Amino acid sequence: MAAGWRAEAQAARRQVVATTGMIADVLRQVGGNRIEVRGLMAAGVDPHSYRQTRSDIALMTRADLVAWHGLYLEAQMESFLETLGKRKPVVALGEAVPKADRLAHDEYADRFDPHVWMDPRLWRHVALAARDALARLDPAGAETYAANATRHIGELDALATYADRVLASVPATRRILVTAHDAFNYFGRAHGYAVQGIQGISTESEAGLRRVQELVDLLVQKQITAVFIETSVADRNVRALIEGAAARGQNVVIGGELFSDAMGADGTYEGTYIGMIDHNATVVARALGGEAPERGMSGRLSTPVVIR
Amino acid sequence: MSWDVLFAALTLTAGYNAAVVAVGAALLGASAAGIGTFVLLRKRALVSDAVSHATLPGIGLAFIVMTAFGGDGRSLAGLMAGAAVTAALGLLAVDAITRRSRLSEDAAIGAVLSVFFGAGIVLLTIIQTMSAGRQAGLSSFLLGSTAGMLFSEAVLITVASAAGVVALYALRRPMILVGFDPSYAAAAGYNVRRIDLAMLLLALVITVIGLKVVGLVLIVALMIIPPVAARFWTDRADRMVLIAAGLGALAGFVGTAVSASAHQLPTGPVVVVTAFVLFCLSLLAAPQRGLLASTLRFRAFEARVHERQGLLAIARGEAVYDRFTLAVLRRRGLVRPDGVPTLIGRGAAAAALRDEARWEAYRRLEPGSPLLGRYDGLTPIETILAADQIAELDRRLALRVAAP
Amino acid sequence: MRLSAPRPQVIAREGQVVEAIDTQSPLDIRGLSVTYGEKPVVFSVDFTVPAGGMVAIVGPNGAGKSSLLKAALGIVPRLSGEITVFGRPIETARGRIAYVPQRSSVDWDFPARVLDVVMMGLYRQLGLWSLAKGEHRSRALAAIERVGLAGFEERQIGQLSGGQQQRVFLARALAQGADLYVLDEPFAGVDAATERAIVSVLQSLVAEGRTVLAVHHDLATVPAYFDHVLLINVRRIAAGRIAEVFNAENLQATYGGRLSLQQLPELDRNRS
Repeated sequence: MAAGWRAEAQAARRQVVATTGMIADVLRQVGGNRIEVRGLMAAGVDPHSYRQTRSDIALMTRADLVAWHGLYLEAQMESFLETLGKRKPVVALGEAVPKADRLAHDEYADRFDPHVWMDPRLWRHVALAARDALARLDPAGAETYAANATRHIGELDALATYADRVLASVPATRRILVTAHDAFNYFGRAHGYAVQGIQGISTESEAGLRRVQELVDLLVQKQITAVFIETSVADRNVRALIEGAAARGQNVVIGGELFSDAMGADGTYEGTYIGMIDHNATVVARALGGEAPERGMSGRLSTPVVIR
Repeated sequence: MSWDVLFAALTLTAGYNAAVVAVGAALLGASAAGIGTFVLLRKRALVSDAVSHATLPGIGLAFIVMTAFGGDGRSLAGLMAGAAVTAALGLLAVDAITRRSRLSEDAAIGAVLSVFFGAGIVLLTIIQTMSAGRQAGLSSFLLGSTAGMLFSEAVLITVASAAGVVALYALRRPMILVGFDPSYAAAAGYNVRRIDLAMLLLALVITVIGLKVVGLVLIVALMIIPPVAARFWTDRADRMVLIAAGLGALAGFVGTAVSASAHQLPTGPVVVVTAFVLFCLSLLAAPQRGLLASTLRFRAFEARVHERQGLLAIARGEAVYDRFTLAVLRRRGLVRPDGVPTLIGRGAAAAALRDEARWEAYRRLEPGSPLLGRYDGLTPIETILAADQIAELDRRLALRVAAP
Repeated sequence: MRLSAPRPQVIAREGQVVEAIDTQSPLDIRGLSVTYGEKPVVFSVDFTVPAGGMVAIVGPNGAGKSSLLKAALGIVPRLSGEITVFGRPIETARGRIAYVPQRSSVDWDFPARVLDVVMMGLYRQLGLWSLAKGEHRSRALAAIERVGLAGFEERQIGQLSGGQQQRVFLARALAQGADLYVLDEPFAGVDAATERAIVSVLQSLVAEGRTVLAVHHDLATVPAYFDHVLLINVRRIAAGRIAEVFNAENLQATYGGRLSLQQLPELDRNRS
């Protein structure tokens, strides 16, 4: 009898499929154990170029709710998801961020920079949208979802405060973030950093030689000593940048590895949204000469951030 | 596009990165064109296309194997080794299919190319879902990514190109022989099959080296376009190799400079487009075999033929009706604007008639002479025979004329 | 009608029968069989080329004449057979054989001048690394002159006539300086002057003591040009001196009755 009840409870859990790890994470936080979340993109997967596989499609067509980021992040999946949206609940949670708060794409007129998760204060909109979507799907759990959302937003606020603090401790002249691709514009805006990526907003664009040259000039001019690689993007361009700067006598090191389009490994602290942002802020702050605890906000970073 | 950045790039002063890429691309262009010349002459260009596409599954497998063993899945050496292995398998597959089955070579090439490439795409799709390792960067092998070329990669390209050049030099005679006349080569004791395989293996090595620079889709272009362009400049196979290598290096160097001077211009494709531009220039402007030169030469030839015919007509007292002939004769001062021959014209007409008569006399005198092969209706016999021979012909002509 | 010769049998120049393998023979073929797929084109042929002879290989189309040559020289694989060149296995005596292939086997658009093609005859001697010196060039030029193409060295081979192309191939073989010359239909599609020139060169080679073996397509000229003949139609029909072997009976056997008597060279100059 108990087994039967448990089975029933299991069956009552809504099946939700999320595209990126960040979306999956926010759904887990808000949905709790009333839903079962399956993420399509594992740690280290690049969402700009990801194409859904047959098994992905099977999962999505069987799910009760499909959540994606939107804002053209999952560029290769967009037409499929739009078609799917005509037959079942599909929601682009990233687009919950108000237009006024989004950054425009530097090349395309009505497109936006999709990397909104870099600013925890914008991510609260996503948490709220997740709450609403789950409540629509499962009205019986509306209260649970609301409570979870409130709790999670509290965590986001704490995260934002921590990030502000450590990143502000970096001397003003050194607040320049150079990374493999343009994923950190919201980060820059939120914390007052100048941000430069070798590749453009999407990793599908190829870095041009001219761009590398310009960045080498920047590194030399501003005497930047640390640049950053990303987990989901090849680090070859960054290493080429360092070589170019070295040829002009400017010694640059890799300040650390950042989570840009994907979170850390499943099951680790960095495999959650909070951990991802915590890690990024801590690494950037320490590498550029600021002060931050070795193990991040609550001492939970898997590896201590050591300055090289 | 910025012109001063372009100029700086061409003089290797646009910065370290551009210089590294320019030198690497130039060396790659030279060695690819070098081996590509032999591949082209041996009519195996499509096989090298199959080989380049067959590298893709090897890259994917190498990545998977390296990550499974806990290593860094993107080690360039490992990926290239994997690429080389499956490319070699593809090459052997084409060879085996052609020899053992009734399929023709192009069917074998089509089969191997599509199957291997498809398998490679499948592997890349699988890899994108793997959570282990960082997989970004594998698809850059399709079209290359030069902006991030490292010094170590340039060194690798240099060393491999140098080794390739040495191998090319060593095998140049067997490859030319096999390319021109495989049955003669076999009779002379050369192992034709082994030489073909060596040639294609050399192409394979260059392909693997070039994966990061221009990508597997375009490396064949870099192997084939410069030799095709070089063909317009020379009629000698040994010079064709050198000119092709030069054009390939030029394409690599200039292509890099152009892509360094503008935003959003990927280097690999720009290098290939540069090679194509060089081909177009060669097609049009090469002396002897270029379009312009051969058109001009033909026009000049046409004019000479008309002139000769016109002069012969004048000498025989016939009227010249053809407008083009008249125009040519007028242009050269041989007739007056009203069509009447000038003094010079009459002299030239007489000379032409005499020339024809001499050739005729020579034909009668020495019917088997190989020099008769030089007769083309335009070449004066004085340029072929010695003065005393011509005097002899004139003597016989005079006798014939004098005879009743 | 003799289908295959009992072994060992050799017909040497002086008419003496010599036992076993003739170490004087430039080319000794034993039991050669060649198939394309499962179709036999040459079946169990024995033949010994007499030293210093001018030998024709004659037979109807598809009779395996070219295949015999190519298989003997290792250009196409053979099903069976033993080949010895001057008493040694062919692999060790390549330098002593010069092969003149059919003109159609080559793409004449290849970027090469006459001189380049003739120099190819010296590649084996030059090896991989050594540079060609003046003496090599002189040898090539001498060969070019000998075939009557003096002045054509710089000409692109695609601009040559059929006869001139054939001469280039012969010059390449001459440059090699071999003892046995093997030609595959050297007179096909050439003009009369070239034919005369080539015959003259071949005869001068024989006068120097070398040996010439040629697949010949024109029955009418066999007695004029050659002194020995091998009649073949998949199998060996007959072989020996022209005077002894080139007769109506053997020709009928070779051509399977497709030949009318008027086509025999003694009577008519028509082609077969």
